[in-house]
Amino acid sequence: MGQHQFEISYVFEYLVKLLPSLKITLLIVFSSILIGAAVGLLVALPRLYRIPVLQRLSGIYVSFFRGTPILIQLFLFYYGMPEMLKLIGIDVSRTSALYFVILTYSLHSGAYISELIRGAVAAVDRGQVEAAYAMGMSGYQAFSRIVLPQALAISIPVFANLVIGNLKDTSLAFSLGIMEMSGTARTISALSQRFVEIYIALAILYLLISLALQKLFVRLERHLFRHEPAAAAAKREPRGKRTFFRKFGSVTDIPGKEARL
Amino acid sequence: MIKLTQIKKSYGRHQVLKGIDLTVEKGEVVAILGPSGSGKTTLLRCMNYLERPSEGEITIDGFTVNCKRPSKSDIHSLRKQSAMVFQQYNLFRHKTALENVMEGLVVVQKVPKEQARKRSIELLEKVGLGSKLDAYPSQLSGGQQQRVGIARALALNPKVILFDEPTSSLDPELVGEVLSVIRKIAREGITMIIVTHEMSFAQEVAGHVIFIDDGMIVERGTPNELFNSPKEERTKQFLKRYTPDGVYSI
Repeated sequence: MGQHQFEISYVFEYLVKLLPSLKITLLIVFSSILIGAAVGLLVALPRLYRIPVLQRLSGIYVSFFRGTPILIQLFLFYYGMPEMLKLIGIDVSRTSALYFVILTYSLHSGAYISELIRGAVAAVDRGQVEAAYAMGMSGYQAFSRIVLPQALAISIPVFANLVIGNLKDTSLAFSLGIMEMSGTARTISALSQRFVEIYIALAILYLLISLALQKLFVRLERHLFRHEPAAAAAKREPRGKRTFFRKFGSVTDIPGKEARL
Repeated sequence: MIKLTQIKKSYGRHQVLKGIDLTVEKGEVVAILGPSGSGKTTLLRCMNYLERPSEGEITIDGFTVNCKRPSKSDIHSLRKQSAMVFQQYNLFRHKTALENVMEGLVVVQKVPKEQARKRSIELLEKVGLGSKLDAYPSQLSGGQQQRVGIARALALNPKVILFDEPTSSLDPELVGEVLSVIRKIAREGITMIIVTHEMSFAQEVAGHVIFIDDGMIVERGTPNELFNSPKEERTKQFLKRYTPDGVYSI
C-alpha cells in the first residue's frame, strides 16, 4: 500500500503528531472507567444483596454489554438513541459524538466492573463480615469499612486488565469519527500514505501507556496488600535480561494475576 | 442476665436445635460441651444472630428479642450486647492489631479516637501483646491472633463474651497461651459462654457446664457433678473418651 520507502525518522515525526490526540483517548478511558465504576457498583449491589426485580434487570444489562461487540454497541447508541429520544421530544442530533462514545464505553465497562465487584466481594472471607456484625456494625459499616477495602485489593489485577483493555478498545471510536489516536492516525495516513510509520508510532504510544498503567497498578496492588507482606514479596518481579521480553510479550499480563483468579 | 427460651433452629427439614432453655447469671462462666454436629456452635451463634433461630426468645440484660419476627434494629441492638471470639479468629485482615481492637470502639461505640487508642493499648498489653500493636494479622501466630481477638471482644465492654471453640484451630503448643488469657479474664467476673473441646479447661474455669447432644440439652450442672458423677447415659458415654484427668485419649 505504502508508496514511500520506509523511513524510521517519520515514526518519530508521527509520534509527535499523534500526541495531541492522546488527550481524547485518555479522556474516553478515564471518564468511562470513572462512570463505569459508579454504574458497576450500582449494578452489582442488587445482585450481591439478591434484590428481587433489580437483580434480574442488572443481570440482563450485564449479559447485553458483555455479550455483544463494543462496535455494535457504539453504533446502536450513536444511531439508535437519538431516534428513541426523539420519540419523547428530546433532540440530541447536535450533541457531539464524543458523548455517545463516552456513554457507550461507560456502560460497557460498567458491566465488567459490576462482575468484578461481585467476584471480589464474594472472595472476601465470610468470617470478616461475621466479625463486623458480631461487634455491632450495621450492614453499611461492615461493607464500607471491612469488605470494600479488602475487595478492592483483591480486584486490582482484574481491574488493571479492564482499564488496559478499555484503552485498546477506544481505538474503535474512530468509526464514529472521533479524532482520538487511531482516528488521527487514519486521517494522517490517508494524506501521507506512510501507513507503516504511522501505525508503528501508534502501536508505540498504546504500548507505552499500557506499560505505564501496568506499573501504576502493580504499585497500587502492593500498597493495598501491605497487610500481606509475604504475598507482596512473592509478587515482586524478578529483574533480568528477560524482563524486556516478558513485558513486551503480553501487555495485560499483570504479575500475580494467576495467583488469585 | 441471659435467658434463652425454647430456641429452635432448622435447616430445611433438619432440626438442629430442638428447643433450648438456658439461663446464665451475671459474672458466670458457662461451658457448652458436646460432640461435633450436636448444635452447640449453632446455639452460640444464635445468641448474637449470626444464625437466625426459627423460634424462641433471647434476652440479654433485659433486652428481649422474639425470634419469630425480629426487626432489623432488634437484631442490631442484641448484637451490641455481646462480643464474640471466633474459632478462626476472624481478625480484620487489612487492619493492625491495634486497629482491630479500636475498630468497634470508634465505629460502633463512637468513642473518641485518642481514648479508644489508649484503652486498646491497655487491653493488648493485658493479653501480652503490647509489643505487637502495629502487626497485621498475617504477621502473628494463631495464638497471638486469638489473643488479639479476645482483646477486641473485651474492648467493647460487652454484657457477655461468646467463645466459639477459641482453641480448636490452634497448634497444640499455642493452646496454653490462649487459655491462660481466658482464665485471667474469667477471674475478673466477666460473663462468658464458652463452646469448647478442652475438657480440663472447662472443668477448671466454668461455674456451670452444659452437655448438648442432638440439638437438646442432655445434662447440666457444676463441673464437679457433670464430670465426676454424670447421670445420663449419653453424657457418660461422651466423657468416657477423655481420661479422668481430662487429657485426651484419642
